[in-house]
Amino acid sequence: MVQLNRQYDRASSSGEPIHVKVVGVGGAGSNILDRVMLDGIEAADLVAINTDVQSLTASVAAHKVQLGRNLTRGLGSGGDPELGYAAAEEATDEIRSVLQGGTVIFLCVGLGGGTGSGAAPLVAQIAKEENALVLAFAAVPFSFEGRRRCAQAEESLTRLRAVCDAVVCFENDRMAEITLPRMGIHEAFAAADLTVSQSIRSVAALMQRPGLLHIGFDDVCTVLRNGDARALFGYGEADGENRAHDALAKALKNPLMNRGALLEDAFHAIVHICGGPSVTLGEVQIIMEELNRHISEQTQLFMGIGIETRMGNRLSVSILSSLGSGSDKPVAQRRQRTVHPVEPAPVPDVKPEPWKPAPSSNPPLPAVAAEQSVPPEAHAERATDELMLPRSDSEPHKPTHVRAATKTDSKPQLAIVKKAEVKQETLQFEPISRGRFEKSEPTIIDGQDLDVPTFLRKNIRIR
Amino acid sequence: MARDNIFVGLEIGTSKICAVVAEARNDGTLKVVGVGSVPARGVRKGEIVDFETAKRCVHDAIVDAEEKSDVEISEVYLGITGSHIRSFNNRGVVVLEEGREEIDEQDLDDVRTNAREVSLPMEDCILHTIIQHYYVDGQDGVLNPVGLLGKKLEADFHIVYGIRTRIQNAIRCVKELELEPADVIINSFATAQAILEKNQKQLGAIVIDIGGGTTDFVVYVDGAVKQSGVLAIGGDHITNDISIGLKIPSARAEKLKVEEGNVTLGTAFPGETILLKDETGFAGREIERESLNQIIHERLREGLDIVKRQIEADQNLHYVGAGVFITGGCSQIRGLEHLASDIFGMPVTMAHALPMAGVTSAFENPQFSTALGLVKYAHLVQMDRPMSGGLIKNAFQKIKGIFRN
Repeated sequence: MVQLNRQYDRASSSGEPIHVKVVGVGGAGSNILDRVMLDGIEAADLVAINTDVQSLTASVAAHKVQLGRNLTRGLGSGGDPELGYAAAEEATDEIRSVLQGGTVIFLCVGLGGGTGSGAAPLVAQIAKEENALVLAFAAVPFSFEGRRRCAQAEESLTRLRAVCDAVVCFENDRMAEITLPRMGIHEAFAAADLTVSQSIRSVAALMQRPGLLHIGFDDVCTVLRNGDARALFGYGEADGENRAHDALAKALKNPLMNRGALLEDAFHAIVHICGGPSVTLGEVQIIMEELNRHISEQTQLFMGIGIETRMGNRLSVSILSSLGSGSDKPVAQRRQRTVHPVEPAPVPDVKPEPWKPAPSSNPPLPAVAAEQSVPPEAHAERATDELMLPRSDSEPHKPTHVRAATKTDSKPQLAIVKKAEVKQETLQFEPISRGRFEKSEPTIIDGQDLDVPTFLRKNIRIR
Repeated sequence: MARDNIFVGLEIGTSKICAVVAEARNDGTLKVVGVGSVPARGVRKGEIVDFETAKRCVHDAIVDAEEKSDVEISEVYLGITGSHIRSFNNRGVVVLEEGREEIDEQDLDDVRTNAREVSLPMEDCILHTIIQHYYVDGQDGVLNPVGLLGKKLEADFHIVYGIRTRIQNAIRCVKELELEPADVIINSFATAQAILEKNQKQLGAIVIDIGGGTTDFVVYVDGAVKQSGVLAIGGDHITNDISIGLKIPSARAEKLKVEEGNVTLGTAFPGETILLKDETGFAGREIERESLNQIIHERLREGLDIVKRQIEADQNLHYVGAGVFITGGCSQIRGLEHLASDIFGMPVTMAHALPMAGVTSAFENPQFSTALGLVKYAHLVQMDRPMSGGLIKNAFQKIKGIFRN
């Protein structure tokens, strides 16, 4: 999957330019879009799609599509996904025309509301029909926003997963964890937008930038497909003497990364190193070796290296990965997501082909698959009909990818075993130490020698 | 400059030795004219463990103070601390002889002597006998009984005592430098003079001075010292804990504590790290911020918990109205205020000495609270007995008393 490209001035191995379109659906989507625009993205069309005219006018995107001209008359969808869907349906042709010509479409959306939750799956659907590869970046609402909203988000997410090539899910709750509670609420939301925008930009750059070791959309899909619960993303840039170390440290420091601790549970990870012509083999080695400490033996690494003169003396490291939905979920369900094959390049004609499970198929598998194709009930009937039927058609599954399936077969179990190992408590056999007070008169209160560190006496483990 | 107007407070601390020179002005205020301070060596947990080294440090501090204040120092008010210092409350009783009904100064001395007549271990001697309240014929709330008529005079005292030889170590250190110890004061009491205003003492207040080697505390209830104590835990312990817990050298642990330490848990990002760099800028290990904070948190929580338990055991906690005042070098650790108010359940103030005229930087730094308190105490004692002129004589008696005892 990682291709060695000897001519680094070429955009990709195919030689065709990749048309990237970034589409923001709904209010939150256009916020992210604005952020992307502000941060700057190369060679990409920005498209804002919304029911709310006010929000649409405020958007900085070059292309704008108003949904539900007759239905909502320029107002929002009032938190009703059905309305959002209907409004999008009304504007199908417009959406189609604006999405036309895009090879890769990034869909950013905040789920839980009306327009985002309702329209995004349809937009993804249309994009798919236009033979684009669709990567959705979805922000899931805070849990305090109410169960109803979360349920709507969850439902919409399921639909998106069914249509898109990959869905990167950003949990706002998780984002809140990373911002300090005393931080302003606007900062917290801005931080969330920034993280989403950063990932979009770096994924886009990853694919567009020419590279010594090129990373293609196929690799990105493999990595992101794998999980559904949490996207791991980190980006770091540094210059100076210690730039390799610094850039990686910054990338790992990213909120979603948890200092690389979470990487251990990921099955795949993309590392993209980009720098000026002065990047040395030694630096790449430093980065990869340090990174290898954070990942498990099972993790499959995709490494990309790009040389760009405009980077000057700077060196950047982007890490992209995703976590599975947690070890408590049934293995079968997890694997089913894990082994979704991936298309390396845009495929002109998509043939429906039933997915053949790996030889060692087990009973729950078909059930899960069936469950996924059953539309959730809350949405309008027509919505589900249109949404779900083409989905099974558009999901290309090639037998060649069964290899991947068998390969990943044993991984979930391995990971679970590993988790269990980690949970086992370690006993400390350190001698009671008084350090610099070794020779002084002990301070004993209530039978405790207070010169011995408190954390040792209380048996608190310090990492 | 008249020598009587100059007070010098000397604190032999675990982390630093400092001498504060102050001048009493005619309007009854104090002016700080100079502060000499040197890092201490040869002192552990507030007591001298290496006499010669400590003596050299005291000498340096005195010279420093002399240079800065342009005053030749000949006598000092010496602050004392150490885990051996203990205290209790005792009541003295004097019954006036037949035919006399007016209470005079002599009776006050007698009642004090009476209160001091307690059996202490052989090696101990009394440092302070601090008056709390007088009672005349059982009548409460007498502020000054001299001149009142009565048959029986009672008085409650807070008596502070410690091991004589260990107190003498500090005195000898000063004496060998050709300095006269004018008086010996326990640190906590001195600190309270620098920090508390009169009404705060009336309301009831806890003063906790977390220094390098010891934590000294004093509890004021109804304007009088109700309880005092010394806990041989301080900033050194935190540094030592960090050094052991994170496996780094002490000097680096100290630096880490001062620069990065925070006592509040959960303020670090998950997995946030601190990169340790040595002098050459070489990037060494990374240390998890939360671990550092956890170590500091556990130590300080424990220390404050012990103080609280001791105050609770004497049932004084509920009579504290003005709150807790924390000072000393360790009070500069971030987040201590929240931890302390969590533990004590009352307002906590991070205090430094009350403003005086002169060197402002001195009283804005909580590290100098005790030394400033010493001069304030000296000033107060002199103001109390302006006419006697025998303050120094008095003090001599006191110190002689220490040796006699």
